[in-house]
Amino acid sequence: MPFTAKPRTFNAAINETVLGTGAKAVTLGGQNVLPLYFFDNTPKNAPAVGIEITDTGYDATGLPALAAFYDGAATPAERAKKAASAEGVSFVCLRFEGADPGGLNKSIADCVAVAKDVLNAIDVPLVVAGCKNIEKDAELFSAVAEVCQGKNVLFLSAREEDYKTVGASVGLAYGQKVGAESAVDINLAKQLNVVMTQLGVSAQSIVMNLGAAAAGYGFEYVASTLDRVKAAALEQNDTMLQMPVMTPVSVETWSVKEAIMAEADMPEWGSQEERGIRMETVTASACLASGAESVILRHPASVKTIAAMIAALL
Amino acid sequence: MALKGLDIFKLTPKTNCKDCGNPTCMAFAMKVAQGAVSIDKCPHMSADALAKLSEATEPPMKTISIGEHKLGGETVMLRHEKTLVNKNLFSLYVCADMADADIDAKIAEAVKVDYERISERMYVETIFVNVEETQTADRGIAVAKKAAATGRDLILRCTKPELAKEIAAAVPVKVLVGANASNYEALNAVATEKGLVLGVSGKDLGELHDTIEKLEAAGNKNLIIYLGGTSIKEAFAAAVQIRRAALKDEDRTFGYPAIVNLERLAPGDDNLQASLASLFTLRYGSILVMGRMTYADALPLYGLRQNIFTDPQKPMKVEPGIYPINGAGENAVCAVTVDFALTYFVVSGEMERSGVPVNLLISDAGGYSVLTSWAAGKFSAGSIAKFIEEQQIESKIKSRTLILPGKVAVLKGEVEAKLPGWNIVVGPNEAIQLVRFLKDYK
Amino acid sequence: MRLFDRAFTGSDEMFALAEAAVTKTIDKLGADAPVAFGSTAYFLPCIYAYTGRKITKLSELKDVLEPVKGWLTRNYRLNDVFTSGIATVLAAEIIEACKYAENPTPYEEKYHGHMTDAEVRELGVPLVTQDIPGFVVIIDEAPTDAQAQVLIKGYQSRGIFVFLLKGAIDQAERCGIKMGFPVRIVPVGPGIEAVSHIISVVVRAAFIFGNVQPGDWEGFNKYSFERIFAFVNAFGPLENITVGCGAGAIAMGFPVITNDTVDVDVVPKSLIIQTNIDDLIETSLEARDIKIKVSNIDLPVACASAFEGEIIRKADMFCEADGSRKDCFELVRTKELHEVEDHKIELIGQDFDAMEVGCKINLAIIIDIAGKNMQSDFEPVFERKIHNYVNCLEGVMHTGQRDLIRIRVSKSSFEAGFRVKHFGELLYAKMKNDFSQVVDKCQVTLVTEPELVTKLRKEANEIYDKRDARLRSLTDESVECFYTCTLCQSFSPSHVCIVTPERLGLCGAVSWLDAKSTNELQPSGPCQVVTKTKVIDEAKGAYEDVNEAVSTYSHGALDKVTLYSIMEDPMTSCGCFECICGIEPMSNGVIIVNREYAGSTPLGMTFAELASMTGGGVQTPGFMGHGRHFIASKKFMKAEGGIARIVWMPKALKDSVAERLNISAKELYGIDNFTDRIADESISEDPDTLMAYLSEKGHPALEMEPMM
Repeated sequence: MPFTAKPRTFNAAINETVLGTGAKAVTLGGQNVLPLYFFDNTPKNAPAVGIEITDTGYDATGLPALAAFYDGAATPAERAKKAASAEGVSFVCLRFEGADPGGLNKSIADCVAVAKDVLNAIDVPLVVAGCKNIEKDAELFSAVAEVCQGKNVLFLSAREEDYKTVGASVGLAYGQKVGAESAVDINLAKQLNVVMTQLGVSAQSIVMNLGAAAAGYGFEYVASTLDRVKAAALEQNDTMLQMPVMTPVSVETWSVKEAIMAEADMPEWGSQEERGIRMETVTASACLASGAESVILRHPASVKTIAAMIAALL
Repeated sequence: MALKGLDIFKLTPKTNCKDCGNPTCMAFAMKVAQGAVSIDKCPHMSADALAKLSEATEPPMKTISIGEHKLGGETVMLRHEKTLVNKNLFSLYVCADMADADIDAKIAEAVKVDYERISERMYVETIFVNVEETQTADRGIAVAKKAAATGRDLILRCTKPELAKEIAAAVPVKVLVGANASNYEALNAVATEKGLVLGVSGKDLGELHDTIEKLEAAGNKNLIIYLGGTSIKEAFAAAVQIRRAALKDEDRTFGYPAIVNLERLAPGDDNLQASLASLFTLRYGSILVMGRMTYADALPLYGLRQNIFTDPQKPMKVEPGIYPINGAGENAVCAVTVDFALTYFVVSGEMERSGVPVNLLISDAGGYSVLTSWAAGKFSAGSIAKFIEEQQIESKIKSRTLILPGKVAVLKGEVEAKLPGWNIVVGPNEAIQLVRFLKDYK
Repeated sequence: MRLFDRAFTGSDEMFALAEAAVTKTIDKLGADAPVAFGSTAYFLPCIYAYTGRKITKLSELKDVLEPVKGWLTRNYRLNDVFTSGIATVLAAEIIEACKYAENPTPYEEKYHGHMTDAEVRELGVPLVTQDIPGFVVIIDEAPTDAQAQVLIKGYQSRGIFVFLLKGAIDQAERCGIKMGFPVRIVPVGPGIEAVSHIISVVVRAAFIFGNVQPGDWEGFNKYSFERIFAFVNAFGPLENITVGCGAGAIAMGFPVITNDTVDVDVVPKSLIIQTNIDDLIETSLEARDIKIKVSNIDLPVACASAFEGEIIRKADMFCEADGSRKDCFELVRTKELHEVEDHKIELIGQDFDAMEVGCKINLAIIIDIAGKNMQSDFEPVFERKIHNYVNCLEGVMHTGQRDLIRIRVSKSSFEAGFRVKHFGELLYAKMKNDFSQVVDKCQVTLVTEPELVTKLRKEANEIYDKRDARLRSLTDESVECFYTCTLCQSFSPSHVCIVTPERLGLCGAVSWLDAKSTNELQPSGPCQVVTKTKVIDEAKGAYEDVNEAVSTYSHGALDKVTLYSIMEDPMTSCGCFECICGIEPMSNGVIIVNREYAGSTPLGMTFAELASMTGGGVQTPGFMGHGRHFIASKKFMKAEGGIARIVWMPKALKDSVAERLNISAKELYGIDNFTDRIADESISEDPDTLMAYLSEKGHPALEMEPMM
């Protein structure tokens, strides 16, 4: 019996969510096929790769290529400009590590000024990530969202504990896009989307952050959750799970020992930078394969590789 | 559709004779339904019943053995639907056209990657030796011997039957890749004669399908599909469509595992090859052939594979015992948690980041997370005290401070009662708070 | 004059003033002169909201008079009052707009006037998140300055945002109250027409946070009713023009509470008379359904989960309430709203100060809860939480429940100042915060007076008995719906439990009542309502609605289950089942094995082996996971003939369920001491000896229809 391929498309599709404005705006989602199955149907929008910078700058010890890339960029705005110019970048993610009350505890005013500078320095969309402190993030997001009005900035993230504040300020008062962050669990993700939409945030303004893990660190939960979310969105037409997914890969992968152990401490493992990049790309690739519409990476070499892989699959 | 245990039970003799090694026919039937035992283990099954069952229990995807490794045999597309059974293998690409020094260096580099992670040996299981038709048999044999010297299983790719035959006669090959629409008969003869798994390719899926049908008609079902000389997009499409046809559309012709040659898809691009290896680990590559294998590749890729090929219902476990962190000695504080691998990784990772020496005590909690094992009674004051006694912690460690996971703060009093002389401290609820906690505590 | 006429007269007055203002302003500035409040993207917000008109110059302002007049209908129906009320507000905005057309800063410094979009957002976000639970508009002067001070401070302390109009501002000033946007007390303006600036905030919140479209009259009223928790305190004697504005407030869903009794008719939930100024706050909050969260619990010791496992030893103990030695109990009761005084903490009897170190005391903890959504079925659920709350107190240990509690308080906590009332403070705050969906009011009574506790304990026992009777009478037939439970899906993705009164969640931890309250408290959480109207087969427990729910909540992995059959589409299991039952083909019965039992069973399989087949949300006919409690249920494999099929259980399990199981067997089949006929591991671990035993005892399963 001769073989005929049966393209598998669904009557449901992932929501389209626009980040940024102008020529370099990025649309996430839109596809009606399983993740990366572009042979089943040409995608409306390709998965997007973002590059992450922090307000404080990276400690690039042991990472000569990363140091060289940002060489001469003294301010967050300068780093953002370089980051935005890296090959394969669709958007820039500014992470406010310095805002953490347990760390540098930078003032909201300082952070707002940084956000403004960064926004003015780049022409690609901006994603703002907080410091993971619920109270500080809520205040920070609201203040930054106010000064970025009209720019379609995505904020990572609203969580169960603060979705009301973040949703109301970022999503409603200032008309930005809201990341909905839940622990790796389909039901919690859906519940958060439900309550966010009940609050009044439109489904098209929500991007899901379902959590991440570095490869080898419980990634099976990430993969299975993404698999199930996509199945529910497409096969079951579950509108509360059709929001596109953005996975912040770098924060996870650059904190595991495979990426941070210095070469001097573990000579047989070889170059620390190479390990870090590989941990980041392998994890990012697995996220995209399972169902992320976008990933956030740190190293320009990782961005280039993942963007090239996406291009090769289109 | 797989048969339910009771359907199988109805066909057993129901005598509980134990000849199959199981105490009852019911226990046997349930194991057959799970695929844990083959139906022919019962010597009393009627021919009728056997015929009925073997057809119904024939898997949609064949299990192919390569040395000690098994490939394929999957029944679901995604792990959460049930579980994935046979993990993919990695392979190092060498080609007879390459210079000897390069081949030696690549092999030496790849062989160095050999370590254990959660009771699993992580190494390159196979070496893929490519011998083009223009090469001589001597050269092919010489290169294959270099590969064979590693003791890893050998995959030979050679499309020229006579050449393949000569090499396979001289070197212990496990898989012979190279069958296609024009040479399959001759290559099939080489493979079957030697008992090798035969790798098949086609210029497109239609041709591949035809060739497999012909090989099956010729009596060979010991096959593997080879996805090599195409584009990344085509290889990915093929891998998905082949698996989908086998499992979703019950097209048993495509019920074979697939080899994906990443060195061919992304020549020389190590980063891209690793990303693709990740993609094909999740989506239906059974042997992934890489241009190089370094620790940088292996650490994330093997970790990912170990994650994906765990049974969703059987969490990964680490061995119970004392795990000294940051060079902890006998005076460093103890912190106890469960043997769920994810808990171990997250907790030990955060402890390492804190820089504070800690004796991490992993107690046997059935491989469940803290709250789950606590709820199931597997992580209790009693189990902690028993662990401390059995592991003779008190004679090995002088510190008498024990940090409990914050989520089981409720155990504090009981643990105090069971471990007199110990100072029981309640730690944070989440691992991420450990760095702070340990630094402050110190 | 009747209330309607007062409102209509007031509306007409406002409109006349608006007409005059427009004419005067045009005369002065010309029809083309611009008109705007500044710092808003919503034109003249109230007019833009209700008419959709984008007014930018005086001629357009004049044009809007006509439609506003058109809304001053006079058919003497309730609706006329409402449309007139809104028209009154629009007329007020016209007056204000004229002021701003003449002078961009028409108010002297002490008045705030128009609020900017930035201020709307600043106020709107906490209003949406309920960090600010609501706002009050206070109009005119309270009878005394002291009352005004208590009132405003009272609102402020509860986090309520305060707007002041007219005389209320002067009075607040006299009282020395600090005012301004940052302190959340805003003096808006000296005239009633300034009320339009407050409504302007409301409609802009609807634009910004509710995406309501300009001109969508109903949309604005609906948004303000559902999402803006505002109300008005208007002090008498009320002017008609104020009554007209009040009608507008009521139309938007904001109740008006006044102390004026002359020509004021009470309209429930909308127009309320409260002449006792001391009760004004409570009356107002209740009228608008505003619940205040407790942010600070007044406790001298810490309260955190880290203290949950603390054990207080005798030597460290200050005192002990031990229900097994002295009368003690804890009880949650449902009361009517008027029966409960919110945050009343009462101690009857001696406090700790009067007690000896190491003494045993009587203690009753009675929590009275009132709420529109409160149901007596939630009482046991809340009551069980007392244990968790009290146990988290530093230096306090709590075990048991009902009248078998034991509470120990440590010496150090006593020395830190811990007293009996602090139980009340803690429980009040926890009940209000954790169950805010249903708890409107809560009061706690603590009794240490021995004779009274003894007397109250008897009453409590009656309540416990009634509850138990209710539990026993709860059957699958007697309720209108079941619930899902998907708590376990993180590790068993396709499993969903259907929880019914007679069939708890298979983990044994989620009863139908638990599921019901979880659903009420967490409407989009793991427990969702499953109706049972579309019966397929009552005996098997097959329902179309149940199948739909299973399909939805398993995300398509399963399409049907039966509730009472183990042979046909049995309910799936996650893996945390307490017990597994499995078909034993020789005897035509089933064996049941519990998690704790490690040995083998007559099936030749252990619990672990059986668990590997039945877990993970897979249907395995003939095998099923379930809770212990289900064993004695009349619904247990009812489709296959019920509990008479049980032929074997581990001894410990058999003993633990014997009493209830024997009662059920007696009721169902008239069999006495049924458990004596059930084998256990001391009798057999293989099919042959099992059969011998069952035959000897005449087990009913042997006579039953074959199961397959």
